[in-house]
Amino acid sequence: MNKQLEHSFVELLETHQNIVHKVCRLYTNNYDAHNDLFQEITIQLWKAYPKFRGDAKFSTWMYRVGLNTAITLYRKSKRTINTTEFDTVQFKIKADEYDDTEEQQLKLLYSAVHELNDIEKALVFLYLEDKNYKEISETMGISEVNARVKMNRVKTKLRTILNP
Amino acid sequence: MDELELLKKHWQAKMPEEKQLKSQDLYPMLLKKSSSIVKTLFYISIAELVFWIAITFLPKLSSAYNAQVENSTINPILLTSLTVLSFAVIILFIYLLYKAYKSISVTDNAKKLMESIINTRKVIKYYVGYNLIMAFISMLLGSYYATKTDPKFGELMTKLDTGGKIGVAVAVLVLTLVFVGIIWLFYKLLYGILMKRLNRNYKELKKLDV
Repeated sequence: MNKQLEHSFVELLETHQNIVHKVCRLYTNNYDAHNDLFQEITIQLWKAYPKFRGDAKFSTWMYRVGLNTAITLYRKSKRTINTTEFDTVQFKIKADEYDDTEEQQLKLLYSAVHELNDIEKALVFLYLEDKNYKEISETMGISEVNARVKMNRVKTKLRTILNP
Repeated sequence: MDELELLKKHWQAKMPEEKQLKSQDLYPMLLKKSSSIVKTLFYISIAELVFWIAITFLPKLSSAYNAQVENSTINPILLTSLTVLSFAVIILFIYLLYKAYKSISVTDNAKKLMESIINTRKVIKYYVGYNLIMAFISMLLGSYYATKTDPKFGELMTKLDTGGKIGVAVAVLVLTLVFVGIIWLFYKLLYGILMKRLNRNYKELKKLDV
């Protein structure tokens, strides 16, 4: 039974691992930290898996556990932003896919997002993943109105970081 | 175009795929130990319990201590009541800690999860607070009884005038306060470092819901 549980979990995690990678990408800024957080999220997902009922989508459930691990449970936060490392690891756009201005703007945007605090990053992450405000508010434990207000503030903050 | 919309477009369509892990890479990960804040809090609370239980009960194993207590003028009923109280408090705290840990669930929303952890930390804080108060009272009572039962100390006290006696009392009080203060500072630092990030994020979330 346990083997079966393990097998089904690993299969689901393998399919949806990009969600975990994306959380790690947002909250860490180097390869080792990324792997470390990935490991911790995997442990937390696995520990919580026996209680996963399947009434929620596995991916939705992963967002919650992943973010909770990143902003609350994970202790080894690497606070310093190493832009060079961040650029090479996080930003691998093929040169021919974008014109220079857009590429430049995206680069700036990614580093601006990295400058946000943990909670703002979580909101941005859910927004980028196309979650609606109801889901965002449920994941974070705040009201829908406040999620919306905060999101607008984050947008303004990003704009300020980009155009000082 | 809205900056975030541009980012969203890229995030969803063009973000480079991370190196995809295979199931054989994932299986070993399940066996690794967690290094989460909850795990650390758990170990700390176990250490607290063991430490304070040892402080409370280890002296009772020494015959010299027992002989000293027997010779002292401490009321035996008071002594038994204190021992029973210590046991009751330890059991109560173990129960409260167990309940607090059980309430921590990684599948709760972010705010609820943070509250459960903060609540657990509070239980540990109260336990430490209780022990520090008890340590403070015990040290004062111990010094008081020592003046009555220790012949050398008693002799010294009779030689002193009122001013000297007050001086000794103040010195004992200050020393006790310093001792308790150092332990308190140690805890402040320990939990301050451990809970810094969590507290900051919780404050940020609370701010959103005002």
